[in-house]
Amino acid sequence: MTFEPKIIAFLCTWCSYTGADSAGVARLKSPANVRAIRVPCSGRVSPELVMRTFDQGADGVLVLGCHIGECHYDTGNHRAAKRLPILHTLMQYAGLEAERFRLDWVSASEGERFSRITTEFVEAVRSRGPVSWRIPPEHVLAMSRQMAAAEPCPYPETDCTGKTDAIRAKAKELLFSGAVACVIGYEVGPRGRTRPSFAYTEEDVERLVWNPEVTNNLTGYIPVKFRRSPIGPPEPQKPVAVVVKPCDCRAINVQLAENHYKREQIHVIGVTCDGLRGANGGLQARCATCQDRVPLTCLYERDESTWVGLGIGLNEKRTFHLGRAWHHAGRCIGCNECERACPMEIPISLLNRKLANEIEKAFGHRAGVTVAPSPIVTVLSGEYKEGT
Amino acid sequence: MKKAKPEGERAKSVSDKRPVEYSQRWTISHKELETWLDGIAAARTLLAPRDVSGVTLYRPVANSAEIAPVFTRPLLSVKGVFFPPTERMFTIHKTGLEVQLEETFPEWETVVFGVRPCDARGARLLDAIFLNTNPVDAFYARRRENTTLIGLACKELGPTCFCTSVGGSPDDASGVDIMLYETEGGYLAQAVTEKGRYLIPGGEWKETDLAHQPSAAGSQYHVPEKDEWPGRFKDDYCAYVCPTCRCFVVRDEVLAPGEFERLRCWDSCMGENYRRVAGGHKPRFKRGERQRNRFFCKFYYFPEQYGLGAASACTGCGRCIEVCPVGVDVTEVLVDMEEQV
Repeated sequence: MTFEPKIIAFLCTWCSYTGADSAGVARLKSPANVRAIRVPCSGRVSPELVMRTFDQGADGVLVLGCHIGECHYDTGNHRAAKRLPILHTLMQYAGLEAERFRLDWVSASEGERFSRITTEFVEAVRSRGPVSWRIPPEHVLAMSRQMAAAEPCPYPETDCTGKTDAIRAKAKELLFSGAVACVIGYEVGPRGRTRPSFAYTEEDVERLVWNPEVTNNLTGYIPVKFRRSPIGPPEPQKPVAVVVKPCDCRAINVQLAENHYKREQIHVIGVTCDGLRGANGGLQARCATCQDRVPLTCLYERDESTWVGLGIGLNEKRTFHLGRAWHHAGRCIGCNECERACPMEIPISLLNRKLANEIEKAFGHRAGVTVAPSPIVTVLSGEYKEGT
Repeated sequence: MKKAKPEGERAKSVSDKRPVEYSQRWTISHKELETWLDGIAAARTLLAPRDVSGVTLYRPVANSAEIAPVFTRPLLSVKGVFFPPTERMFTIHKTGLEVQLEETFPEWETVVFGVRPCDARGARLLDAIFLNTNPVDAFYARRRENTTLIGLACKELGPTCFCTSVGGSPDDASGVDIMLYETEGGYLAQAVTEKGRYLIPGGEWKETDLAHQPSAAGSQYHVPEKDEWPGRFKDDYCAYVCPTCRCFVVRDEVLAPGEFERLRCWDSCMGENYRRVAGGHKPRFKRGERQRNRFFCKFYYFPEQYGLGAASACTGCGRCIEVCPVGVDVTEVLVDMEEQV
């Protein structure tokens, strides 16, 4: 028995879906493997949908929309044209054969074109057999080689008392003048590990330190400070000061672009960094610690999202990791906090790095260099306006 | 599914087997241990600490050579053997108006080698919830019954261990079926339960009446100085590595048209949506509130609810301290709590 692939086709209701109808009216042949899903616009096909489709056992996914310039909603298909090719690159990087995904344009009258595209696509997928993909180990190896080749940080600074004193002095000044309610910095824990610390009083300030082990990215705590419970009266919010390393400061730009808080609500204590000790750490676990530690929010809440299956199988892990990376596309600043947090030593930032490169190539966008939202991930916490 | 009573009786019989004390001891060499484990691996599923890309975990091994040569304790506790991260409870077949449920019980026999006393104690604490309290968890009971634990006393305490402070001990044999103590040139083996005795090859090993040497029982863990305590920590995720965290979430997933499965999966009280109620209200919205709940659960609610008396649900394995990305230390929090009460 020959293999018959399962193909899911997302068809725009205004053009491709009608195009499929005209193919039928014209009695043109199109393969029966294609299960059509009617969507209002190709821009509606979010990458999560595509990933979930593969997760649920599709052998190929076809997205058909109106030709550029003919969208019923003006720019809906621009959105598809922007993000789906990047998704395609990401999925190929993660081991999917290129033939299994295709984005194309079919107008309402092009029945012949619809028939040709679907036939071609089904033939290509059929020749590939059932879907089975894993992240190719050579990508992981390449990254570990890249990391090993990077210059080990020669940490010259052993005496950090100067910086520690300066941080404490500034923290005291800010707290006593009432300018801020809290200073987020670092302290040394009882087992000698440097960790985040929240200073509210003079006593607390005396714990703040700076040393070569200040690896945590503290900017993740700022949005948490300004989040409100969905019910109950809003609490008054005083500004917050935060100790920030140069590499972490880009996260603040991303958070500002996503309207988590206003610039005047934070006081950034920048500290120059001469390099850190021990800052560096196949996909196994899925506990979402990585997602929780990064300074940005992600749509994949571990216990809530139905975009990913609940089980912990290979499919779910892949969908989770691809989706997590996708939600940080154009937002990930490369602080590597996700990888440090992972107790299983998973090379989590692998997909993030790949996507960051792709986005820089396609849009010239680098996350957090300016206060600008990601070019491809929809900002959910309010619309971005230039200059606000 | 509605067979609570007989399941309950069956489960009782499992837990009742525990207190049977065997005091037979044998001395065995490294070679004998290897042969024995190879024999077990050939006949049953043998799980043992194994090196998986840089992390030690309890994983199936084909022979004794695959076992990690040196290990303190695997990163994930042994609880996953009885209470897996994901478990299919049953499948649902729907044809027309008819719905059929098909339970899937695990039937295979498993032997776990190298269980540390803290993990074995964790399993006993889980028994309190899953076996000794109604309704009895049939899946857990089945796995527990089919699993034999071979314990290994700790020679030394790890940097984050504190089992002696919560009533445990590095050579505590009460939770396992067979206990091994490292000696010079080999091991001293003790059958603790009937199930363990059954696994020991009778004639081949040399019996002895030596008592085992105290392992790491005398050593002390590092108690930080008092005025070092800071406070106010708000961060997440330690429930997955904990040997006694037992929260789970259940969801139905589609397998094929007309076919569904009901999955049970580990959950964590540190997640923001864990306590979400209808209408979107989250009673533990802040991280600090969730953190408080976790510590209160471990040291107050859990013992109170399951009648553990003064004992806590913490086994002192120190995993949460080790994996915490922001250095939350349970020993520190406890001392802090004590000061404030």
